[in-house]
Amino acid sequence: MELNPDLRDHTATLSPRVALKRPVLAARSYADRRRLFLISMALPGLAYVVAVGVWPLTKGIWFSLYDYNLLKPAQTHFVGLRNYADVLDDSVARQAFSNTVVFTVSAVAVELVLGFAIALALWRDDRFNRVCLALILIPVTITPLVVGLIFRALLMPDYGLVGYYLAESGFSGPHGLFAYGSSALATLIFVDIWEWTPLVALILLAGLKALPSDIIEAARADGATGVQRLRMVIIPLMAPTIVLAVMLRTIDAFRIFDSIFVTTGGGPGNATNSLMLHAVKQGLEFFNIGLASAIANVTLLCIAVMATAFVILFRQADRRAHGS
Amino acid sequence: MTSIKGFFREIAIAGLVLAPLVGSAAAADKPLEGVTLTLASQNDQFAAVLAALAPKFKEQTGATLKVDILDYGSLLTKTTADFVGHTGGYDLITMDIVWSGQYAQNDYSVDLVDWIKRDASELQLDDIYPTLLNALGHYGDKQVAFPFAGYANVLAYRKDLFDAAGLSPPKTMEELTADAYKLTDPAKHQYGFVANGQKGPAVAQDWMQYNTEMGGSILGPDGKPALNSEANVKSLTVYRDLFQKAAPPGAVNYDWGGREESFRQGLVAQMQTWSVGAPGYYDPASSKIVDKVAIAPAPRGAGLPQLYGLGGWGLAINADIKDKQKQAAWAFIKWLDSPPEHKEFNLMGAGSFLRKSEMTDADLLAKFPFLPVIAVTFEHGDGEYRPRIPQYPQIQDILGTAVNSVLVGNTDPKAALDAAQLEAVKLF
Amino acid sequence: MTAFFLLPFLWLATAAYKPSRDMFSVPPMLLFRPTLEQFATVLRIFDVRSLLSSSLLIATGSVGLSLLLGVPAGYALARSSSRYATVAAYFFMAVRMVPAVAALIPFYLMMRDVGLLGSWISVVLINSMLNSAFVTWMMFLYFRGLPKELEEAALTDGCTMFGAFWRAALPAVRSGVVASALFCLIFSWNDFLYPMFLTRLDSKPLSVALLAAFGTKDITWGALGALAHFSTIPIVLIVLALNRYFVQGLTKGIH
Repeated sequence: MELNPDLRDHTATLSPRVALKRPVLAARSYADRRRLFLISMALPGLAYVVAVGVWPLTKGIWFSLYDYNLLKPAQTHFVGLRNYADVLDDSVARQAFSNTVVFTVSAVAVELVLGFAIALALWRDDRFNRVCLALILIPVTITPLVVGLIFRALLMPDYGLVGYYLAESGFSGPHGLFAYGSSALATLIFVDIWEWTPLVALILLAGLKALPSDIIEAARADGATGVQRLRMVIIPLMAPTIVLAVMLRTIDAFRIFDSIFVTTGGGPGNATNSLMLHAVKQGLEFFNIGLASAIANVTLLCIAVMATAFVILFRQADRRAHGS
Repeated sequence: MTSIKGFFREIAIAGLVLAPLVGSAAAADKPLEGVTLTLASQNDQFAAVLAALAPKFKEQTGATLKVDILDYGSLLTKTTADFVGHTGGYDLITMDIVWSGQYAQNDYSVDLVDWIKRDASELQLDDIYPTLLNALGHYGDKQVAFPFAGYANVLAYRKDLFDAAGLSPPKTMEELTADAYKLTDPAKHQYGFVANGQKGPAVAQDWMQYNTEMGGSILGPDGKPALNSEANVKSLTVYRDLFQKAAPPGAVNYDWGGREESFRQGLVAQMQTWSVGAPGYYDPASSKIVDKVAIAPAPRGAGLPQLYGLGGWGLAINADIKDKQKQAAWAFIKWLDSPPEHKEFNLMGAGSFLRKSEMTDADLLAKFPFLPVIAVTFEHGDGEYRPRIPQYPQIQDILGTAVNSVLVGNTDPKAALDAAQLEAVKLF
Repeated sequence: MTAFFLLPFLWLATAAYKPSRDMFSVPPMLLFRPTLEQFATVLRIFDVRSLLSSSLLIATGSVGLSLLLGVPAGYALARSSSRYATVAAYFFMAVRMVPAVAALIPFYLMMRDVGLLGSWISVVLINSMLNSAFVTWMMFLYFRGLPKELEEAALTDGCTMFGAFWRAALPAVRSGVVASALFCLIFSWNDFLYPMFLTRLDSKPLSVALLAAFGTKDITWGALGALAHFSTIPIVLIVLALNRYFVQGLTKGIH
């Protein structure tokens, strides 16, 4: 996603060519005016995000330091970091954390591989491929809650269209996929893959279409096989796009709760409980705002750490791709 | 304060206007003209009927009734936010039986004690089951909601299967358990028992019901949690065995919808359920067991007093709204619960009974032959199968995870309930 | 492969034409006698017109506001020589990572205090916060990939700085704008938690109503399927119409 290497000139004030046409004094004030212009372009967006977003967030951090339950407002008192200690100490939260990590890593990995395969398959631009692309995008347009409900209905072992045969054939175990810890989590990962692989494929397809065709032709002329071309040329060139797709999906997968909420409710036991589901339950069912805010902040921190890791990867990949 | 008094007079007039004989009231007699009431309704069968009755209410009183139909989770979250934020978004709220404690503790809704006393004759209070009046809104010395939808816990069973096996419907829990095993034949997709197994409220509520019928109790005599009592552990063990040997395999992940579907599909020989679903079994559009189903009073552990589980919904009036809105909301409750309207409400399929007179009404009996069973249940109803205490949501959550873990075989009943007890004690 | 992504959706779509008793059976059957009963139920219980218009208002409102705020900000950050510009761009990306629960209750109280609670505008405000942050980040990448010569030429031709942005830079990344808009649209259209909390009956969007078709005692699959028609068809049409720009849009920005 980092762009044409020769154009990546980070000294973004306009080049001297423009400035030289103006008197020297004007050039000075031109730089000022330019800065002012850019600031005034960025300011509304920044101010908006700060006003609408940062204030509630700060408030959220503030709440997380209190024993604050909306149902018992009179008992509110400052507890410092105790909510965070409770989160770290709570075996339910710890399991939710590890479930979320397993979920995110597996779902995003499969989505990436599968999405890449689909993108390669749809690379050639013809009418058939274009229709296919539009059709496979349908899952993306369905609210995740409803996606969860669809799979729940299909996978019911006693009378669901698919689950019945899975149970009959012994594939799922008699109680159905959602009734066993390991298969329940795997199934939820599958559902996420179903819904979001098309989006990953779309992002990657766009990257593929932007590859400079001369480089790939040159590789072909050198006698590289398809696999070699993919490994030596296409994947390195695609690295920035891949990291972008992974980053977007990781952010969203780490916050999963809707499809879990309507299929297993986090069960069996706590086998499919996720951090967000835990936070939503504490916050919006028990109105335990202090604890919910603490869980949410821990989640945010995890995402931020992962995202920073990706940004670093992203830059390295970008640099390698463009050899700069 | 004359205006308030005047308003009371208007309400009284409204009561007269609402009498069935004066159906076509003139515009001048519409005391609530211009008022708009917003009702947050659980999406049970009654929700669509409430929406369908709104035009009639407007015609008779002038007030517009808007019904916001919500799923259980959204209803709880949105109305609680409305109460604690004092935003007054909803005038009327359908209140689940188990929310009574929360409502009373936090004064979310108008205390109706005085209004009920004042309007007792208009309400025809004698005709309303006292058990419902108590369970669906009475808590401590407050009346936080007024009942409009009583649900009876009943036993739905398959006549054909029981007859073929030479059995009669179980009277005791011991018989129910024995029959469940006798009527199970997995090869034929035939099961003798079903209940909710899904983690969360689904499994917690069904087990609490079962546990009480077996003689267990969630709270000890001191009102403190006693989750791991000997009786509870024993009942959970029997319950787990039923799930593993006599229930459809998928039941460990059933919620209410999944459970009811399994019965309507003909997979199951007997099921304890809320009476509200019963009309559906007789409806060929949704049921495959129309001619084979029968309803009986729920069984009870041998030697235990004759008591049956009650559930259902009351209507609460938001304490944050203006006086005029409160009066209009009360007028709506009285209108909906008035004998002719409530009968109409049920004829339209609400499945929400309230009055003694409904149990013997010829029109209703023709449509719902199981009314005598509901009458018995309401007569000996017990609303405390699920404790209506303020800590209920957390207790339900703890049990929801613990019982589910036992049913899927992750842990044994004693260990699960011991751990749950430790959690529950922290709430008190 | 296409079938894999379509079939589960088709089950829900066909559920809308099944009578309730044939929704499931043992063993499962594919054949059923089609009925429009489910649509009639949905239209009776829900004010579909109001749901649809709320959904459209929320989606278009937040897409519009997000672009209005995010595109210029992305441009400014891409063209700034300041070292902090990149940091700022990633700050915007970080905003999108915020879990809904963290911001929900404070935002709810904030909307109550300014009197916007229950209005679709409050949903637009919060969605735009997340979306404009995302747009800023995406447009930052797009504008950085755009040669500066275009704008310089415009400036030497006597354009104002805004003119150079508006007439030279913006048209060149038009497809990038469309791509960002589509991401925002899908996000807003599917968003559930914020509108569930912030709207009332007459401002409720389809995404929230869908869950109300999911009863406690009885999941009305048919009603859900029928309602899903209204929530899926418009967005699929929009995606289809913009599909071409979408791929081109991303294409332009990357490499």
